[in-house]
Amino acid sequence: MRKTLVLTGAALLGLGLTACSKDEPKSADAGGPIAVSATDTACDVAKKEAASGVVTFAISNKGGKITEFYVYAAGDRVMAEVENIPPGITRELKAELPAGTYETACKPGMIGSGIRAAFTVSGSAAPLTADAKLADATANYQRYVQSQTVPLLAKTEEFVTAVKAGDIAKAKALFPIARTYWERIEPVAEIFGDLDPKIDGREDVIAEGMAFTGFHKLEQDLWVKGDVSKSGAIADQLLVDVKEIVAKATAEKLSPLQLANGAKELLDEVASGKITGEEDRYSHTDLWDFAANLEGSKASVAALRPALEDRAPDLVAKLDTAFKNAETTLAKHRDGDGWKLHTALTTGELKELTDVINALAEPISKIAAVIAK
Amino acid sequence: MIGNVFPTFLIGLREGLEATLVVSILVAYLVKSDRRGKLPLVWLGVGLAVALSVGAAALLEYTAAHLTHEQQELFDAITSIVAVCFVTWMIFWMRRAARSIGGELRDKLSEAIGIGSVAVVGMSFLAVAREGLETAVLFFATIEGSDSPWYVVAILAGILTSVVIGYFLYISAVRINLTKFFTWTGALLVLVAAGILKYGVHDLQEADVLPGLNDHAFDLSNVIDPTSWGAQLIAGMFNLTVQPSVLEMVAWGAYAVPVLILFLMPNRTPRPAAAVPTPAE
Repeated sequence: MRKTLVLTGAALLGLGLTACSKDEPKSADAGGPIAVSATDTACDVAKKEAASGVVTFAISNKGGKITEFYVYAAGDRVMAEVENIPPGITRELKAELPAGTYETACKPGMIGSGIRAAFTVSGSAAPLTADAKLADATANYQRYVQSQTVPLLAKTEEFVTAVKAGDIAKAKALFPIARTYWERIEPVAEIFGDLDPKIDGREDVIAEGMAFTGFHKLEQDLWVKGDVSKSGAIADQLLVDVKEIVAKATAEKLSPLQLANGAKELLDEVASGKITGEEDRYSHTDLWDFAANLEGSKASVAALRPALEDRAPDLVAKLDTAFKNAETTLAKHRDGDGWKLHTALTTGELKELTDVINALAEPISKIAAVIAK
Repeated sequence: MIGNVFPTFLIGLREGLEATLVVSILVAYLVKSDRRGKLPLVWLGVGLAVALSVGAAALLEYTAAHLTHEQQELFDAITSIVAVCFVTWMIFWMRRAARSIGGELRDKLSEAIGIGSVAVVGMSFLAVAREGLETAVLFFATIEGSDSPWYVVAILAGILTSVVIGYFLYISAVRINLTKFFTWTGALLVLVAAGILKYGVHDLQEADVLPGLNDHAFDLSNVIDPTSWGAQLIAGMFNLTVQPSVLEMVAWGAYAVPVLILFLMPNRTPRPAAAVPTPAE
């Protein structure tokens, strides 16, 4: 009943309000609302910090002018505000604030940038990330993902442009480079259902009733057919899909467990797809993907590192050694700025790569259990 | 004491004016075009909006329910933008009306311009609902969070004053001759609608849907005190503020200029209007 009224109004206005919040993360203000005493020249916020969740402020205007109260995040993004607080009136403001640093501001007379003060919110509502180092892991990895999505989009655009311009040599050169950024963050990409097979599916997806599209379809056109005059639609679709995944991946926060599993999945990818030469079966640029998977896996582990050092220091030492070995072994196959083609590697060399990856997969598979403790 | 409660009075007046301006023009229009039968629909729209605003505000005040900042701003923005659509329709009814009355009788007028029942309810509902929620929330905050009953009186007095102003606007609108009425009220509505759109854009910026909240087009805050009664009235009627963002002003201009030109553009020379006796209201 409580929600119906608000919802009715919302529906009347054609607006899907998810009305309210009886079931929001629990309110963080155990000691009642945070009192804010606003005058024409001052803005005294009783507390400078709060636990994350719904933070309630009670702003009393003790001055002679109408005032406003804001909570700003970085870059003056408004997190919450209450306008029209006349003199003599107290108004409440409920703000949902995740952990971070904010600024509170009173604006007596409704002008200027306000009387600012720093405000810190700490902790997190999710149980697993209650451990600050794990919470950091999520944030660190998100930064890594963002550092990869920008060039992924840029290089994919260049690649698509070259395909559409019929510039086969340029498209061939860009293909493994664009894929590098993709392969580094593949664990995130896999979260978004059928976007991954649309972008990165191999010819085998046809058997599963899907259309063969994306990077590998263009790879086939470039290397096998040597003709991209009809590839425009596929190229356009690839760019649309990559844009969508970039938008989603940027917003996605992986849990520490997802990070641990992602690091492991990337190595499985290396073993099952790259060492076998299945992934880039037409262009044979598998080692680019191999290197990118390894880097992505290392980034996941690096994000978890502070938490791992607390919980399992000996595992960290093993991981470091195993990563070093894998990188050294792979480095033998460098070729200028890039890598040798898969077809240039001997059976013995492939066997050697398999061994170092398996040696690395073993400690990595233990991370999840350590994190879940 | 008066000095203390005056700002509260002004807020009530400002928020009230936003609604009464549109409603009184709508009522005047219905009366002038002999469509009094539609008046109950106006009050239905207004009543719905008031009930909804007060109900939702009571919920927010007396329960743990709350709207997130984005939800609140989006609600404001969407109601504003829908309101702009309705008011724009109204403006062009006005135009057609102004053009079609060259000496004809009033019953012809009513045939020339049909105005749908849904449009009447929708327009009066939106005019009130747009700022109704915010005003109702403030009203409850005043009851709960003030140290003297005078504040409640002040905010009610402000809203009442706006209703009185609206009534006088209606009275004078009904008295002037038809051609003038349509031209003037139409032009007034263009400015009102442009203001509502500008306000909607500002809300979208506050909700972080549009960028550039802090790129100010100009800043008159040193020259004009936005809390003064004059500034509050202008803000109430036309949503003109002392420190608007660039995007707000672009939206305002992009709406007001072409619509005003379209509205005032003669499509044919209207013959002088016959003096039509208006019923004493």
